[in-house]
Amino acid sequence: MTERAPLCRGTEIAEGEARGFAPWPGARKQVIVLRRGGRLFGWLDSCPHYQGGTPMAWKRDGYLNAARTRLICFSHGAEFDPETGECTLGPCLGKRLRAMPVIEDTDGMVRLTDGSGETPETRTRSEGS
Amino acid sequence: MNIIGPDALVFGVDDVAACAQYLVDFGLTAVDAGPDGGFFEALDGTGIEIRRRDDPSLPAALPTASMLRQQVYGVVGAADLDAIEAELKRDRRVVRLDSGAIETTDAQGFALKFQVTQRRPLNMPAERINAPGAAPGRAPNELGVQPGMPALPRTLSHQVLFVPDVAAATEFYTKRLGFVVTDVLGGAGPFLRPRANDDHHTLFFIGTPEYMKGCEHLAFHMGGPTELMVAGTRFVKKGYQSFWGPGRHKFGSNWFWYFNSPMGVHVEFDADMDKHDDSWIPRETPLTAEASQMVLFEWRPRWAPAGGPEGATEAEGAVD
Ligand code: FES
Ligand SMILES: [Fe+2]
Repeated sequence: MTERAPLCRGTEIAEGEARGFAPWPGARKQVIVLRRGGRLFGWLDSCPHYQGGTPMAWKRDGYLNAARTRLICFSHGAEFDPETGECTLGPCLGKRLRAMPVIEDTDGMVRLTDGSGETPETRTRSEGS
Repeated sequence: MNIIGPDALVFGVDDVAACAQYLVDFGLTAVDAGPDGGFFEALDGTGIEIRRRDDPSLPAALPTASMLRQQVYGVVGAADLDAIEAELKRDRRVVRLDSGAIETTDAQGFALKFQVTQRRPLNMPAERINAPGAAPGRAPNELGVQPGMPALPRTLSHQVLFVPDVAAATEFYTKRLGFVVTDVLGGAGPFLRPRANDDHHTLFFIGTPEYMKGCEHLAFHMGGPTELMVAGTRFVKKGYQSFWGPGRHKFGSNWFWYFNSPMGVHVEFDADMDKHDDSWIPRETPLTAEASQMVLFEWRPRWAPAGGPEGATEAEGAVD
C-alpha cells in the first residue's frame, strides 16, 4: 500500500464501465479508469487529435460507446481500443492514448502506479509545465 | 439561388437516448422523439434530427467516424429548388422528393437536401445593454438578469466541416450554389454565407486528411452573450463537457462556447455574429490562437469573497 491519494474505491468501477477522476484537486486533466474482464485500465483523458490534447467525454463519466466496447472521443468520434489505447477509427488514426497505469491496492482503493502520477499534462497551470 | 442556411442537420448515431437527453438539456425541444430518434428544434423550428446509425432511410454514412448523415438547407421558394436542381444535375444525381425537396451530394461526398425553409419567423428582442453616452437599452426597473431567465437556442447558425479538398469544396459552394466567401483563415479554410443570409458565416471548412472527413461543430445562435453564458453555465452544471470557451472570435465577432456531444461533434452556443453585404472585402490571415479569438475564458464554480479566508463557493446542485 502506498501513500498516494486514491482515485476511487475499486468497487466504484463496475465491469464494462468507465469513470473519470481528477488525480488531485485542480488537475488540468482527468484520468479515465475502466474495467474490462475484471482488469482495470487507466488512460489520460486527453484526445491526441488536437495539439496539447483535449477532454474526451460528452458528459461526466461519458467515455464509452453504447455497447461499452470502445473508448470514444466525443469531440469528433475517434474510437480507441479500451485495452491498448490505440485509435482504431477517426481523426487520431495511428495515435494512442497516454497510459496512466492504475492498481487496485491492498486496501481496495484504486491508485496510479508510477510516481505520483504527475505528468506535464496533469500538472496545473500555476505550477508551470 | 436564395439559400438561407441550414434548416437541419441529420445524424445517424450510436446512442439515440444519449443524444436525445443531450439536445433537450442543450435547450432544444423534442418533436416526435422516441427510441428510434426524433427532431430537436430551436425556437424558429431549425434543429437536429437524430436517427439510429443503422436506419435504412438515411443517406450513406461517410467512411470515417463521422455520424453526420445529411445537411438540410432551407431556401426561400420553390423556384430556388428548380434552379439548384437544374444547376446540380449537370454533373451529379439529384433526386426530387414527393415533398418537392431535392437531395444530392456535394463535391466531397456530404449528403445534402434542399427544401423550402421551415423556419418560423422570430420576433424577440436582442440582449439589451446600458452604456454611458448611449440611449438606455432597458427601461427603468427593467433588469438585465434574473434567476430562471430563459436562455434558449433561437436558430441553427452554422456547421463547420472537415474536408479533404478545401479548394474543391469552396468552388462547389461558391460557383455552383452562390455562397460568398466572407473571410479566410489560412491553413484552415474559408467562412461562407449563402445569398439569402447576411450572417458572417453559415459554413466554414477546415482542410484535413481524408480519414478525418466529417463535422467539427455545429452552432446555434443565442440572444446575446449573457444568454450564451447563462445557457453554457447551466449546461456545465448538468455535467456536460465544456471544450472551448466562453470566448469571442475575431472573424465573425461571435461569442462562442463549445461542448463535446454524443453525436461526435462539438455543439456551440454562439451570439452576436457580424452581418455583411456584398461590399465586404474578405480578410485573410493565418490560423493562429491570436487570430482565432479576441478573448477566451474558462468556466469555474461560482464564488464570492465572503465567509472566511476561502470565500463562499457555490452550493452543490445550485441552479439559476
Ligand atoms: S479531438 Fe478527439 S477526435 Fe477530434
Ligand atoms: Fe462556430
